[in-house]
Amino acid sequence: MKERPTIFVVDDDEPVRKALGNLLESVGFEVQVFGSTEQFRRAELPDKPSCLILDVRFPGANGLDFQQSLHQAGIHVPIIFITAHGDVPMASRALRAGAVEFLMKPFPKDELLGAINQALERDRVRRSQDEELSALQSRFRELTSREREVLELVASGLTNKEIGKQLGISEVTTKMHRGQVMRKMNATSLAELVRMSDKLKAADFR
Amino acid sequence: MSSPQSGSLARATPAPDGATDRKEDLDRSRLVGLRALAIRYGIAALLAVGALLASLGIQHLFDFPYPFLFLFFGAVMVSAWIGGMGAGLFAVLLSTLFVDYFFVPPFYSWQISTTAETYFLAFVVCALVAGWISSARKRSEVALEEARNQLEIKVSERTAALMQTQAELARLSRVLSMGELTASIAHEISQPLTAVVTNGDACLQWLSASPPNLEKARQSTEKIVQDGTRAGAVVGRIRALFKKEEPIKDWVNVNETIEELVGFLRHEASSRHISIRTQLLASIPLLKADRVQLQQVVLNLVMNAMDALTETPAKQREIVITSSTPGEREILVAVEDCGPGLNPETVDKIFDPFFTTKPQGIGVGLSISRSIIESHEGLLWASPNPNGGATFQFTLPIDRQEPQ
Repeated sequence: MKERPTIFVVDDDEPVRKALGNLLESVGFEVQVFGSTEQFRRAELPDKPSCLILDVRFPGANGLDFQQSLHQAGIHVPIIFITAHGDVPMASRALRAGAVEFLMKPFPKDELLGAINQALERDRVRRSQDEELSALQSRFRELTSREREVLELVASGLTNKEIGKQLGISEVTTKMHRGQVMRKMNATSLAELVRMSDKLKAADFR
Repeated sequence: MSSPQSGSLARATPAPDGATDRKEDLDRSRLVGLRALAIRYGIAALLAVGALLASLGIQHLFDFPYPFLFLFFGAVMVSAWIGGMGAGLFAVLLSTLFVDYFFVPPFYSWQISTTAETYFLAFVVCALVAGWISSARKRSEVALEEARNQLEIKVSERTAALMQTQAELARLSRVLSMGELTASIAHEISQPLTAVVTNGDACLQWLSASPPNLEKARQSTEKIVQDGTRAGAVVGRIRALFKKEEPIKDWVNVNETIEELVGFLRHEASSRHISIRTQLLASIPLLKADRVQLQQVVLNLVMNAMDALTETPAKQREIVITSSTPGEREILVAVEDCGPGLNPETVDKIFDPFFTTKPQGIGVGLSISRSIIESHEGLLWASPNPNGGATFQFTLPIDRQEPQ
């Protein structure tokens, strides 16, 4: 394990959140516990894999609504819901909105740890994807506007000749631009360049 | 079918003992009867002799020409009053003999002169009538007394039956309203259980580490004991609310009673997007009251308030429970909601039994609550809030002497 992941616990019941803190600490996680969603929002989230264990019901607030508001705020920490009296609609709503797991209290340790590992794995994948994307984006920003046009047309499957014709430049110049794009984007093959372009486009749509 | 048979068998087996017992009982009661009879007739005789001596005394001392015969009437009346008709007649007989011997000419003989015959006859008749009237009066008085006693017994029997019915109904309505709170109750029990299970897992984990972290394991075990105790206390409180038991008045802290109940209600409230706020007087005097019954009243009032908030926008749904001592002599508990308030057409009926505005309601909550508060010598009433909604509040008198 490269970094010790952090687990956040948000539960309004003090003995329960302390017990969860105790258990997670005993299996080697770093734990931060909060009594309310507001406290969690005020906390600074570390730049490493983490997940959130969240009680569904709070006095005056609702864990499901909080999940939505986190999503809207662009905080993509994976969530494991815990509840003492959940029902099927509640669980399905949580899972549809991207929750990792929906556990009924009291739950066996293995179920919780399994869910945590799954959540952390998901967070790791998301984090590495994010890293890759931001690297791609910074490389993309180094391209000149002509090079971006060339990339776009290459990715749409046109030949050098066709690109040159469309942009009103010679085939040799096109080839030169294309070489620059490949170099700047750190692509080893045409196929890889196309995949990068797709990823960048998808990120724009996000 | 089997019970009468076994009953007769049971009666048949100890026959010899029972027979001697019964015989002794019979003898004893006969003895008691004889003694009472002797006393009654003895009193009659004493009174008649007393009347004779008094009459003779008065006649001799004051040289009175006419004997004091009304003293004999008095003796007859008193004898009949105390001893009944028989003793009265006995007194009449004795009086007649005394009067005949001492006061009817010729004196000191049993003979009666012809002139005194009418006079003597009138005396006898008057004595008989006096005795009869007196004993009749006494009889009717006794009958009246008996009727009154029986009436009293019947009234107290009926009252006891009614109280029992009311207690039963109160428990039923308590169970019904608790039934609506099952989700909340499940939550209340699951929370400490979750803590127990989780701390148990943590404890095992600390022990299986190498080297085992004994301090952390000990701390975990301590928490398990605490959480287990908490779960037990929750179950105990719920059981108390369901228990079939006679009301017991004991020293009660009203604030604790309210807080405990709000614990049950909090999750029900939050699932209905209602927040329950409490403003409880810091040092509230203790009350002599039935804790469960008080909780039932607060439960009814808060459940009503929650039902009143269904049409209110989710962000404004709030219930405020306050406790105070406005007059120093009583505690006031108020449950305030911001619902549609009281309907002026039905406000007079809300405390009537079986009056309800809820589709699923049976309409006993408020009437039971009021009878509980009244049995604690308090008052329960409803009033509209100045800015919408309703407040249900009750008072409970503060006892003068508090426990140590």
